[in-house]
Amino acid sequence: MSAVTIPAPAELDSLDDEDFRLVVRRFLAENYPEELRNPPKRLHWSENQGWYFKLAEKGWLCPGWPKEHGGLGLSPTKQIILTEEYERHGVARTNDHGIVMLGPLVIKYGTEEQKQRFLPKILTGEHIWCQGYSEPNAGSDLAALRTEAVLDGDHYVVNGQKTWTTLATDANWIFLLVRTDKNAKKQEGISFLLVDMQTPGITVRPIINLEMHDEFCEVFFDNVRVPKENLVGQLNKGWDMAKALLGFERIFIGSPRQSAYALSRLKILAERMGVWEDLEFQDRYARLRLELEDLKALYGVYVSKLKRGESLGPDVSMLKIIQTELFQSITDTMLEVGGENAGLLEPMEGNRDLNIGGLYIQARPATIYGGSNEIQRNILSKNVLGLPG
Amino acid sequence: MSAALDETERAESIRMIRDSAAAVAPPGGDLKRVRSLRFQDPGFDPGLVRQMGEMGWIGLRVPEAQGGAGLGMGEMCALAEEMGAALVPEPLIPCALSAGLLAALGGAGPLAHLLAGEMVVLTAWQERADTLEVPGNPDAPRKFLPMAAGADMFLLPVREGGRIALYEQLAARADVTIERTQDGGNLGTLRPNPGDAKRLADDVGEALAQALDEAALVTGAYLLGGMERAFAMTLDYLRTRSQFGKIIGTFQALQHRAADLKMQIALTRASIEAAAATLDAGATGDARRAAVSRAKARAAEASMLVTRQCIQLHGGIGYTDDYDVGLYLRKAMVLANQYGSATLHRRRFMAVAPETEE
Ligand SMILES: Cc1cc2nc3c(=O)[nH]c(=O)nc-3n(C[C@H](O)[C@H](O)[C@H](O)COP(=O)(O)OP(=O)(O)OC[C@H]3O[C@@H](n4cnc5c(N)ncnc54)[C@H](O)[C@@H]3O)c2cc1C
Repeated sequence: MSAVTIPAPAELDSLDDEDFRLVVRRFLAENYPEELRNPPKRLHWSENQGWYFKLAEKGWLCPGWPKEHGGLGLSPTKQIILTEEYERHGVARTNDHGIVMLGPLVIKYGTEEQKQRFLPKILTGEHIWCQGYSEPNAGSDLAALRTEAVLDGDHYVVNGQKTWTTLATDANWIFLLVRTDKNAKKQEGISFLLVDMQTPGITVRPIINLEMHDEFCEVFFDNVRVPKENLVGQLNKGWDMAKALLGFERIFIGSPRQSAYALSRLKILAERMGVWEDLEFQDRYARLRLELEDLKALYGVYVSKLKRGESLGPDVSMLKIIQTELFQSITDTMLEVGGENAGLLEPMEGNRDLNIGGLYIQARPATIYGGSNEIQRNILSKNVLGLPG
Repeated sequence: MSAALDETERAESIRMIRDSAAAVAPPGGDLKRVRSLRFQDPGFDPGLVRQMGEMGWIGLRVPEAQGGAGLGMGEMCALAEEMGAALVPEPLIPCALSAGLLAALGGAGPLAHLLAGEMVVLTAWQERADTLEVPGNPDAPRKFLPMAAGADMFLLPVREGGRIALYEQLAARADVTIERTQDGGNLGTLRPNPGDAKRLADDVGEALAQALDEAALVTGAYLLGGMERAFAMTLDYLRTRSQFGKIIGTFQALQHRAADLKMQIALTRASIEAAAATLDAGATGDARRAAVSRAKARAAEASMLVTRQCIQLHGGIGYTDDYDVGLYLRKAMVLANQYGSATLHRRRFMAVAPETEE
């Protein structure tokens, strides 16, 4: 393994795929902190920033971004290989809203000045982003959002409340959907605003989730003054960008990452429980494994589209549904196979790789966030299949 | 005893048990008490165990001659269902299991204290996960003891030749480790110390098999109560939450989902009640095992499905610890596999159930 040398980031994309895989393995073996492998819960910034900075320093932070903006510009196949190897190694998620959501949005819709201002700071870890879309009464019906921004001289004054904001306590910037025209049709009065969370008037309150973890938050805005130039795209045209961003989010959630990880846990569990050789179990496992392989193939199709510069259509909803429901079926199977161990709060037998209950709970919201699977099915039936209604 | 009751008397007796459950689980009551006990030691209120003893619940199945109430599985399942609806954490089911065992031995050992709710007595029969077998190795650690953090005594089945003898061991002198569970309770591992155990009986094999079957069925009933309540909360939410200017319960996709869950709950109830009736009619051996396995397999699977979907139908709020519906999911995670998982019970059903005639 030590035979492979790690080339400069800009050259990674020109490697042969199998060489690339070996390079990733070596990179992880050399750089990934051992104590962060397979964390049972999503890590906070205080825990994972070392890894973020390491990726930043090595130039590996943004595999999907084009090279001219500091990304690796990886081919779809290589992005999948990277994901597979990260999962194999048990690499934790970072605070990645800037990497997977805001960055691509700014690249696509931002002004040159905004690109200069925001992209480098994601790349250095100076800006850690969170996503301020949902509100107490605007979840599935996101366009009903009421947090408003009113122009006052050179600033927008923001008032309202966001909720379910993941890792808002860790973030120093938030991207917001705000109402800027109360009289227009609900989709037509929405704008996209970037807000420094140090601005006076912002209060963040963590909410304990079902994992007993303070991961998502409520964020309150009380006369928060945001410079005018922090608006992305045109005034009142935020909805289209928001939808584009949801497309990025869906392809991210649709990546085989979570399912691949869960399946690797199911195998370990089955071995531990002595059912791995069981024919009935083998059949169940094979079904899940094939689902995963086909999901990877479908994922590759979408990543290729992005790579060619095509935009994603509403059919990307399929990917989101398939991945999240596979993730859930795998963890459901773990619960069924684990016997009494499935009810434990902490990892089984002190083995931190095997927290059946934790993973089962973690899989629950995947069919809710990023647009619930019911909403994704509505999109498929209406906008893809063209069914009436 | 119970089997002699006619249908109306039985229905009345079950109604009375449900009414009496209100003493511990008042209708419309909140889960404040349950929440305050979560993730603490011992995970339940010993005072309430005493109250359960006074109401005759721990010995509900124990014959009157031995200080019990002499009631049937129909009553026991109804009681457990009420406990499940309110997520009552007190270890009624494991204590009733021990009581059944001691009663079958003619009232040996700590039976009187157990029936009075003065002692929490747990039967330490299990050596590995997901089994109903009692290997009874004398030194093997006994695992997954529900609420062991509050145990006063353990009953220890030990294989001796072809028979399974029973010993008792005081918890205060036992080597027990505790692990917390998702519902806020705990499971203990006991490392037996045969030198310190007192012999109670020579052969408890069949009595233990029956007690375990009953515990499996009663656990199914507890899960049924839980899924019914979580589902009711969800229907309320579907009737009040609105998105897109409409009550979400008007969306047909959600209506159909709710209808599917209702069917699973109806099947679970039918299966539990049928099994209880089969046992109350005196079924033994394979007939008892088949009825219990059918019901527990259904309850385990339905409870997981229903509680998962209840979260889904709530959206984001269902994923908060503050909102009660999640507590039912966590409870199902712990109980679905206790006294046998759905897979175990399906297999056992196929092994013991007679094939239906064509
Ligand atoms: C773990 C987690 C992290 C999150 N992180 C973020 C974040 O960082 N930033 C952010 O902005 N948001 C975040 N969210 C919010 C998420 O996007 C919303 O929860 C989601 O959009 C659903 O909205 P809601 O919770 O209001 O549920 P509701 O919209 O009230 O939905 C309730 C139920 O009704 C169903 N439903 C609603 N409308 C329809 C319909 N027309 N047809 C059929 N069924 C329907 C839903 O599918 C769901 O089952 C997060 C959520 C979770 C659970």
